[in-house]
Amino acid sequence: AALSCRYVLCEVVSEDPRCRQCIEDRAVGLAVRDAVGRVHGDYGLACCSISFTVKYLNAYTGTVLLRCRKDSYRLLCSALPFVRQLESRNQRYPCSLNTLHVGGTIRTCQKFLIQYNRRQLLMLLQNCTNEEERRCVQKSLLSCSLTEEQSQSGDEEDDDGPE
Amino acid sequence: TYYVFTFLVGYSAVALNHVIDFKEKKQEIIKPVSPSELFPSLPIVQGTSKRIKVLTRLTLVVSDPSHCNLLRSTSANIRLYDIIAVFPKTEKLFHIACTTLDVDLVCINVTEKLPFYFRRPPVNMAIDRGIYFELLYTPAIKDSTMRRYTISNAISLMQICKGKNIVISSAAERPLELRGPYDVANLGLLFGLSESEAKAAVSTNCRATMLHGETRKSACGVVYTVKKPRKVEEEETTLPACKKAKTEA
Repeated sequence: AALSCRYVLCEVVSEDPRCRQCIEDRAVGLAVRDAVGRVHGDYGLACCSISFTVKYLNAYTGTVLLRCRKDSYRLLCSALPFVRQLESRNQRYPCSLNTLHVGGTIRTCQKFLIQYNRRQLLMLLQNCTNEEERRCVQKSLLSCSLTEEQSQSGDEEDDDGPE
Repeated sequence: TYYVFTFLVGYSAVALNHVIDFKEKKQEIIKPVSPSELFPSLPIVQGTSKRIKVLTRLTLVVSDPSHCNLLRSTSANIRLYDIIAVFPKTEKLFHIACTTLDVDLVCINVTEKLPFYFRRPPVNMAIDRGIYFELLYTPAIKDSTMRRYTISNAISLMQICKGKNIVISSAAERPLELRGPYDVANLGLLFGLSESEAKAAVSTNCRATMLHGETRKSACGVVYTVKKPRKVEEEETTLPACKKAKTEA
């Protein structure tokens, strides 16, 4: 494809739970653009702005999927560590972005995200304090799979999670 | 807190740094804090079943040759640290650190203009000795003037050492100043490293520094012996060839 894009999957990390309110396309897009402008100047900002958009957001897990042109994904990725805060509706909260995966299509990022979330759920399972939580987490683990595919046999092994 | 650990989950070892600046009043090297006292339970490295290693590290800020005597003395407390780093403030001290001092890391100034230029002979000697140069990234994230100094100092080092023996670390004092390994490798690209060098600066070079520290801690060094049964056969086959050559001559 002549106009290839790169999809960058990252997660928003913050100490303040209220930061979740700021996880919306406009706020995240502005923060990323501002960081690119600060680090790479007008040239970098202009390059990254071609086809730049926030494709997917999940405020509960803090997952963000960004898209940019293949030629400028390095400029974008090298500026992501410089995002320091998210601002929305005159509220700003300090946070940082953690890059998880860079893929050529949305599907590869989706597959990675499923594996990543499964690992996070496993870690949550280890830290469960009561039986109720444990059952909820196990139920989520068993149901995570890519739609259109059959659920993988690996899920059954997860059931014997470490106590 | 949990949020710190989401990053630590991308790392398999962490070092706690204790800085000693000789410009202040007489400083003594105290015993390192034991990690087990600070962290009752450590998180597990993502993808394996081992826990994160916590190492102790000592950084000596030297601005005068007399400060180096502490390293040469056989002080018992110095030996207890896993990694020893030195931060030279003058060209002469940089030369001494690269060529003679028994350290694992030489810190490169990232918060102000370099007072001296790097020269090739001491840098190459440090690379031969297995000493690594350390760049910090947290000042660059916090302030734009620091960012300019970090990038220019890093690039001038890169031009001399050609990207070898670089370690990128954070000097984070708060959890939000940390960045994951993927992001730190991307920062290496900004400092003039190639992709493979940047990845090495976060992974293999750090491991090599840890091993260098271990060899420094144990007596004079470690010799690993590996059994090589084939060698005996090789010698036997070469002997007849020699004999053959003699007879032909």
